[in-house]
Amino acid sequence: MTSLANLSLAAPELLMAAAGLVLLMIGVYQKGDATRLVGWLAVLVMVVAGVLVLKGAGTDAGTTFKGMFVTDAFAVYAKVMVLGASALSLILSLGWLAQEEIKKFEYSVLVLFATLGMLMMVSANDLMSLYIGLELQSLALYVVASFKRDSVKSTEAGLKYFVLGSVASGMMLYGMSMIYGFSGTTNFEVLAEVLSEHQATGVVVGLVFVMAGLAFKVSAAPFHMWTPDVYEGAPTPVTAFFALAPKIAAIALFVRVMTGPFADLIGAWQQVMWIIAVLSMIVGSFGAIGQQNIKRLMAYSSIGHMGYALIGLVVGNEEGVQGILIYLAIYVFMNIGAFAIILSMRQKGRALEGISDLAGLSKTSPLMAAALAIFMFSMAGIPPMAGFFGKFYVFISAVHAGMYWLAVIGVLTSVVGAYYYLRIVKVMYFDEPTEAFDTPRLANRVILLVAGVFTLFYIVYPSPLLLTAQAAAKSLFAY
Amino acid sequence: MIIAGLAFYLFAIIAVAAAVMVITARNPVHSVLWLILVFFNAAGLFLLLQAEFLAMTLVVVYVGAVAVLFLFVVMMLDLNTQVLREGLAEYVPLGAVIGLILLVEIATVGGSWLLSPEMEQVRGAVARTDITNTQALGNLIYTDYVYLFQAAGLVLLVAMIGSIMLTHRVRPGVKKQKVAEQLARGRTVEVKKVPTRGGI
Amino acid sequence: MAELWEGYLWPGIIIVAQIVAIVLPLLVAVAYLTLMERKIIGAMQMRRGPNVVGPWGLLQPLADGVKLFMKETVIPTGASRAVFLMAPMVTFFLALIAWAVIPVNEGWVLSDINVGVMYLFAISSLGVYGIIMAGWASNSRYAFLGAMRSAAQMVSYEVAMGLIIISVLLTVGSLNLSDIVHAQQKSVWFLVIHFPMAIMFFISTLAETNRHPFDLPEAEAELVSGYNVEYSAMTFALFFLGEYANMILMSGITTILFLGGWLPPIDIAPLNWIPGPLWFIIKVVALLFVFVWARAAFPRYRYDQLMRLGWKVFLPASLGWVVLTAAVLQFTGWSPWN
Repeated sequence: MTSLANLSLAAPELLMAAAGLVLLMIGVYQKGDATRLVGWLAVLVMVVAGVLVLKGAGTDAGTTFKGMFVTDAFAVYAKVMVLGASALSLILSLGWLAQEEIKKFEYSVLVLFATLGMLMMVSANDLMSLYIGLELQSLALYVVASFKRDSVKSTEAGLKYFVLGSVASGMMLYGMSMIYGFSGTTNFEVLAEVLSEHQATGVVVGLVFVMAGLAFKVSAAPFHMWTPDVYEGAPTPVTAFFALAPKIAAIALFVRVMTGPFADLIGAWQQVMWIIAVLSMIVGSFGAIGQQNIKRLMAYSSIGHMGYALIGLVVGNEEGVQGILIYLAIYVFMNIGAFAIILSMRQKGRALEGISDLAGLSKTSPLMAAALAIFMFSMAGIPPMAGFFGKFYVFISAVHAGMYWLAVIGVLTSVVGAYYYLRIVKVMYFDEPTEAFDTPRLANRVILLVAGVFTLFYIVYPSPLLLTAQAAAKSLFAY
Repeated sequence: MIIAGLAFYLFAIIAVAAAVMVITARNPVHSVLWLILVFFNAAGLFLLLQAEFLAMTLVVVYVGAVAVLFLFVVMMLDLNTQVLREGLAEYVPLGAVIGLILLVEIATVGGSWLLSPEMEQVRGAVARTDITNTQALGNLIYTDYVYLFQAAGLVLLVAMIGSIMLTHRVRPGVKKQKVAEQLARGRTVEVKKVPTRGGI
Repeated sequence: MAELWEGYLWPGIIIVAQIVAIVLPLLVAVAYLTLMERKIIGAMQMRRGPNVVGPWGLLQPLADGVKLFMKETVIPTGASRAVFLMAPMVTFFLALIAWAVIPVNEGWVLSDINVGVMYLFAISSLGVYGIIMAGWASNSRYAFLGAMRSAAQMVSYEVAMGLIIISVLLTVGSLNLSDIVHAQQKSVWFLVIHFPMAIMFFISTLAETNRHPFDLPEAEAELVSGYNVEYSAMTFALFFLGEYANMILMSGITTILFLGGWLPPIDIAPLNWIPGPLWFIIKVVALLFVFVWARAAFPRYRYDQLMRLGWKVFLPASLGWVVLTAAVLQFTGWSPWN
């Protein structure tokens, strides 16, 4: 009766779950401050989990836990990105925690559990495992958003995120219950099978709710309202984390849900996705224009980026998904670099977050200014930076699918977006300098260097990323 | 069975009526008490489905623990529902429109009710009589659904870590009673002569 | 007509008769428990206790009852009338309905349900409502404080109690109360197997019933009388009856879980001549004596100590015991499932 599930498929997740519990114990029983120790151990765990993911990439593919958990090339690709983004933002956070003298080892544990939730989302092959993974991730994120609890803004961010996130989860759960009620199953493969035969209206209605919930999690318009406030209120390293890992996981989940079980309903969801993508691009580019706070700016920027990435999902074929995956990888590098700089914006130990604080950075620290300029050019999609290629692949997939309007709107909003990205460059290079920033920490400098080199020189050797993304996209459309 | 049918309608009607009272009661404490009544009737419905374990769990967990905490919070907060209700009128039209849309959706959906073959099987499922439903539940949870079960445990753990992290404050200078130290003194409790106003 | 009689009326009458057969002796027992308490404490404090009304004071409980019955029920101004009146009823009612699943002898039980233990646990977890409702509805600071303390205390100790019960259930493999007793017939009393847990369970029942040394909700010195300070006459009597009925109930549960229910200690000649129900009663009375004894012997716990005991001692210990029990059952093959 007791047949053991194939655990090796879920080895990275099991490792992280167990390690999270152990780290919690270490943190509790460590005499004195355990923040540093637990933090670096958490980074180590993520790296090891990444190795395990890659190790299983070639050999293990398939489902386990009664079809609730799936590992394929797509999952591996997304997991590596999630783990990388989490580990890097955790490293950035540790420096920030030390600078702010916050002694809370729970932070790293929560980030670890959030990352675990993301891996579970990426590997979800059942509505129930999807939901549980999503909740694990969201719950941990609500807490880290408000973890600077003495700051009113941070508390507000956490509370807002929590309330709106709960509503989104509730909507999604409602939709799932309808899907289950009208199809009789929660498993993705069985769902795809059932829906290929007959498509009840109830499933479509349920799907709309699920999409609304997922769109909230990727902060796509019109479900983006929380993003600027949460990004601004949350502590800066948390914002960096929010902008990276959860986005990747949620987009990956979105792609898997839409192209897997609901592939046959594409006629129903394609228009909805179209509207979501276009609205996100517009909100992202126009909303950012008036912003003075760089974290709010990054919030709108991420809304816009999600819009561009979702173009690939509107297209809904293999090429589109490949475009998304490439876009996400480049997005991670651009954003981690930008946040490494934002986290280095400190004068005499005090953190700054106004755009005007960057004035004259080219004179006070030219290297940092150059790096930020590279990231801004890249985000604006100016060739030959990496960001250009990200946009290029999704637009081209839209053109190939005959969705010219989508591509045109994308290009137009990119032009609008370029305005505020270039404004930062202008502030750095043409405004009068204020006081110089403190020297950034070593970790920040290293991350900055890696991200900068990638963004600048991606054009030289793009094929590995292209091929991996292609293989990953292909695995998604295997069945 | 007539009695089972009557009981179903009794539980169902009370549950719905009490649920309406939850949102219409003026006093928040009364709302929670009505909510408890809803839980009870839901437990009753579970009993009618011969799911006695779930019924009892519902009472133990929701009524015995969750609702108690609700009551705690609601009683301690000085809620003024009058103030909370201010501005309600503004949102009524919006809410009514959304509610109407949902209703229409559900009506269309219900009109096109179409059951898949899998669902028909579920409907036909009868309670197994050879084992109690506690055992049946255990057999499922710890085998087929072990992944979800463990993951749900992690979700709860994260909730616990979160609430402790956000509320626990280490206050310096608090004199804590350390029972282990007190007991470790052994039999060497001594009586000292304390000078007036001097202390030990 | 015959069908109606056979199918509904006659079984209905039988059930009502059974209920009366349980409730009446219970109420008499409650009445005399109060007398027993006063007599025992009197003896421990070198007093006589009540000895005026009737021979050896035997009619004292009746006199008390009549007095409370005749008095006026006062409802304080500002009280939430409906909740105020409902609270004592809830307390009393819960203390009674739990008895529906308690087996006093082989087959002597109103409803032999599969989830008996869960039922009892559910009912006992509801006990907190009577108190919290009373405290809130009275619109009085003292009552409210008492209710808060009491609710927190009961919820805390319930966690440990639940885990202890799980250890017992693991060894039995059933949630049915009769099965639990039968399992002790086959092996030994669970008092032996789960010795530390049995003690912890009993201490938890003291806390659960708000009895000494955990009677902080009452704390007459600081809170006057806690949650029931505003209650008088019949409403107070219902609280009083409920509290003492709960004591008997908890003793009954302890008896079933750890002391072998209606079984004699050893199945040999003079002991198994005594009928099962009598054994049950003897054990319950013995436990009740300990309840009273604890009241006379121990000073009251401080509140932080009480919480510390519940959360930092009982909870980890009982959790560890669950793991230990499960491991032992699994690796020795004694598990009821193998």
